[in-house]
Amino acid sequence: MVADLIESLAKIIFIFTINLGFFAPVLGWVERKQSAVMQDRIGANRADIFGFTVIGLFHSLADAIKVLTKEDFIPAGANKFFHTIAPFISLVPAIAAFSVVPFGGKYTIFGHEVHLVIADLDVGILFVFALASLATFGVVLGGWASRSNWSLLGGLRASAQMLSYEVAMGLTIIGIVMVFGSLKLTEIGAMQENFFRWGIFLQPVGFILFLTCAIAENKRVPFDIPEAESELVAGYFTEYSGLKFVMFWMGEFLEIVTISAILTTLFFGAWHLPFVTDAMLLGFFQFAGPNGAAILAMLVNIVTFFGKVVFFIWLQMSIRWTLPRFRYDQIMRLCWKMILPLSLVNILVTGLVLLLWTR
Amino acid sequence: MDAMKDFDPTKNHPMVGVPLDKLKPKPVRKRLDLTLWEKVYVPEVLRGLGITTKHFASNMLGFIVPPKGKKRKVFTVYYPEEQVVLPAAYRGRPVLVMKPDGTEKCVACGLCEKICPANAISIVAAERGEAERYPESYILDMSRCVYCGYCEEVCPKEAIVMSSEYQGLAERERSQLLYSKERLLRSEESVRGRIEYIRRIYSKCNY
Amino acid sequence: MPDTIERDLHTDYMVINMGPSHPVTHGTVKFLATLDGETIVDLKVEIGYLHRGFEKMCESGTWQQVIPYTDRLNYVSPLINNVGYALAAEKLLGIDVPERCKYIRVIACELSRIADHLTNVAAGGLELGAFTAFLYFVEARELVWDLIEMLCGARVTANYVRIGGLKNDLPDEFREKTLEVFKRCRSLWGDVDKLLTKNRIFIDRVRDVGALSPEEAIAYGFTGPCLRACGVPYDVRKSQPYLVYDRMDFEVPIGETGDNFDKYLVRMEEILQSMRIVEQALDQLPGGPINVDMPEVRWQSKEDIGNRIDSLIFHFKTVIEGIKPPPGEVYLAVEGGNGEVGFYLVSDGTGKPYKCRVRPPCFPLTAAMSRLMKGRLIADIVPTFDMINMIGGECDR
Repeated sequence: MVADLIESLAKIIFIFTINLGFFAPVLGWVERKQSAVMQDRIGANRADIFGFTVIGLFHSLADAIKVLTKEDFIPAGANKFFHTIAPFISLVPAIAAFSVVPFGGKYTIFGHEVHLVIADLDVGILFVFALASLATFGVVLGGWASRSNWSLLGGLRASAQMLSYEVAMGLTIIGIVMVFGSLKLTEIGAMQENFFRWGIFLQPVGFILFLTCAIAENKRVPFDIPEAESELVAGYFTEYSGLKFVMFWMGEFLEIVTISAILTTLFFGAWHLPFVTDAMLLGFFQFAGPNGAAILAMLVNIVTFFGKVVFFIWLQMSIRWTLPRFRYDQIMRLCWKMILPLSLVNILVTGLVLLLWTR
Repeated sequence: MDAMKDFDPTKNHPMVGVPLDKLKPKPVRKRLDLTLWEKVYVPEVLRGLGITTKHFASNMLGFIVPPKGKKRKVFTVYYPEEQVVLPAAYRGRPVLVMKPDGTEKCVACGLCEKICPANAISIVAAERGEAERYPESYILDMSRCVYCGYCEEVCPKEAIVMSSEYQGLAERERSQLLYSKERLLRSEESVRGRIEYIRRIYSKCNY
Repeated sequence: MPDTIERDLHTDYMVINMGPSHPVTHGTVKFLATLDGETIVDLKVEIGYLHRGFEKMCESGTWQQVIPYTDRLNYVSPLINNVGYALAAEKLLGIDVPERCKYIRVIACELSRIADHLTNVAAGGLELGAFTAFLYFVEARELVWDLIEMLCGARVTANYVRIGGLKNDLPDEFREKTLEVFKRCRSLWGDVDKLLTKNRIFIDRVRDVGALSPEEAIAYGFTGPCLRACGVPYDVRKSQPYLVYDRMDFEVPIGETGDNFDKYLVRMEEILQSMRIVEQALDQLPGGPINVDMPEVRWQSKEDIGNRIDSLIFHFKTVIEGIKPPPGEVYLAVEGGNGEVGFYLVSDGTGKPYKCRVRPPCFPLTAAMSRLMKGRLIADIVPTFDMINMIGGECDR
């Protein structure tokens, strides 16, 4: 009983630290530096402490200090309650969605079976989509409660975009769920032990569609009309400053991490190294005894998982800096006339193949 | 223009009237609709990603293993630790040239005052001894100067030249921006390069 | 029943003001857009926020003092304005400049044109969200500006061309440096071409937006890349060749429909053609003087001023009173970055111009914005206005 509690607490603290403590500040740094290196320039590296500029990492610290000490204002005539609560509604689902993502498999340590996932829900992937729908509220409330024409336009566009792409996102996943036969993310991850059973080989079209829908859900370029269109200044978060602004911004970055984690779990072999099965890994570490081998195997799997997550973060950042953005009606047309039919066709073809394969 | 001599209406472009072999119009748009390659978004996105990834990889390598002679591959100059190498023609702040005995070469002829497009120079002339003019007060309003180089071009005595100074030009008070004669004086050695340059470009061989 | 609904749900058009300072209108211009949802019902364009009284200022200075003012007309391609004004004044005076001077003026014009088109395409990419394409072209523009700085001492406010010649000759390593810069510019051009030209996201934003028929374009007074995008191959360098353009071998890119995609393609192709012209001019460059040897028109050399009394007297007279063209009027047009830049000069025999009017090429283009934007979405203002390339300094003078 106590062991379970300790295990859960350790996992929660680990995920929280990794997300808020590592990914959130480092992603800001990554965005600056990666874009700089892609664009033939140096990037921000002037912030220093006692003369040490750690290639610009202190800028995240400077950002944090600036944001905490900024004046927090609410525009005159705006709805105070909704204006304050909107960033929270936008941020919390991004963090909470990480609770069903498995970052490792099952290990037996000191007689106790450890599952490296905070909540092994039966509905797995649907929980993530449910939370993503909640995030829509934050955006719409933020746009409406700011009492400004431009914010309202941004909030309206965001609501339509996020709703449509949730529908499409749900349909693109059905293919992979059919192939693996389960909604539980731990099972899907465990079934990708064999390199050629990785989701990306079984469902390539689904991968591309899901990536597109996820980026659109996250309102990143090329789908970022709600927030950073040149004509809307900053869209639905124009009237936010200080901590609330950074909550919106952090919610966006953490959602990048969540999307990468889900992509890894569903399509890229979760925590497995290619061509290395669990038994091989445990056999590799035999010299440390059964508990030591389990711990070492756990560490290797965690590192592999987060390595793949980092790759997908890099990919999303690259896409952001390469592509121009869509126009509003083109986004809607893309979703309803291209992605949705394609995902339905994907389901059909997957079903046919499964039927003929198992015959 | 000999367009009228070989005027042949059949060979000219109907709207512009220039012979087609001289005009050489080149249509740039290959087709009006999208090809299949373009309709599917993904291949072009991948090609674009390839370009930026190529830049990313080569610049990353250039940070870790810089090419010889330079500190990094990207062409950023890390100001103020590194300074830009200015060409010889660079027009910086105007300065007055000093004679070896410490007085200015300027004879207060007033040409620079007249030619300045921004009316930045004000001169009050005076005499020194017999038949020697000098500017009693020479005020150059740096808030008006547009760094065009006309004063240097018209000066008959090479007394005002555009140095290559571009730093330290900001002040907190407007009155500080009215540079007096003393602030503008520089020794002749410090602007020797510029004087040689203007002698070369404004020399007789160009006429 | 429908009546009641319409009476209760009273809908109205929303008027949005994209004011003079706005992230996307690069140039100070005010748009008053009457919107029905996202569709534009009417668009009113108000210019004049950068009016600095160029023509009035010219009347208070001498003929030579106007040249720094012309730098600031189309401030992304200043050398073309310089050359246009100098050619018009020389036509008024009735003099002809040496061959070498003509070739160097062609080189200067084309370098400026490259910088202008690079800036325009880069800004277009930036406003559509492609930051990387913007920065690649800004790097290319920096290199071209370094060339111009090597030539005349300043990157943007060049003040290089004089009436009757040039300020100075080409520096020594100019040819090698130019070829090196062009190699890098061509590689960056290829990168941006691969990033944007066939990218469906970009094409969807700019295709079929802002299209105009050739007759209507000519009726509005379009010239330059926008007119060439409509299919009319009118280029002042070919129709009324000035300087040595009739000896240069270059093509005139034309588009099909006149929409933004055509404008973008025409500008990209013109960058390559301009590089071709500069390389040909560098090859064909003759030796010789670069200024006319007429003291009443062009300030003499430092040796002459220092040694000859007549040169000194002419020097003083031309600086203080200005050169004195015979009374008359002249109109001369050159091909600017946006189109036909015309200079209409009137002289009354004194040293100050009586009238100096500039025909801004982007004035008719901005006027057509209203016609182009009826029925479009508000997000279409962005690429259309970018590709029109309205330069505030030129449109408002």
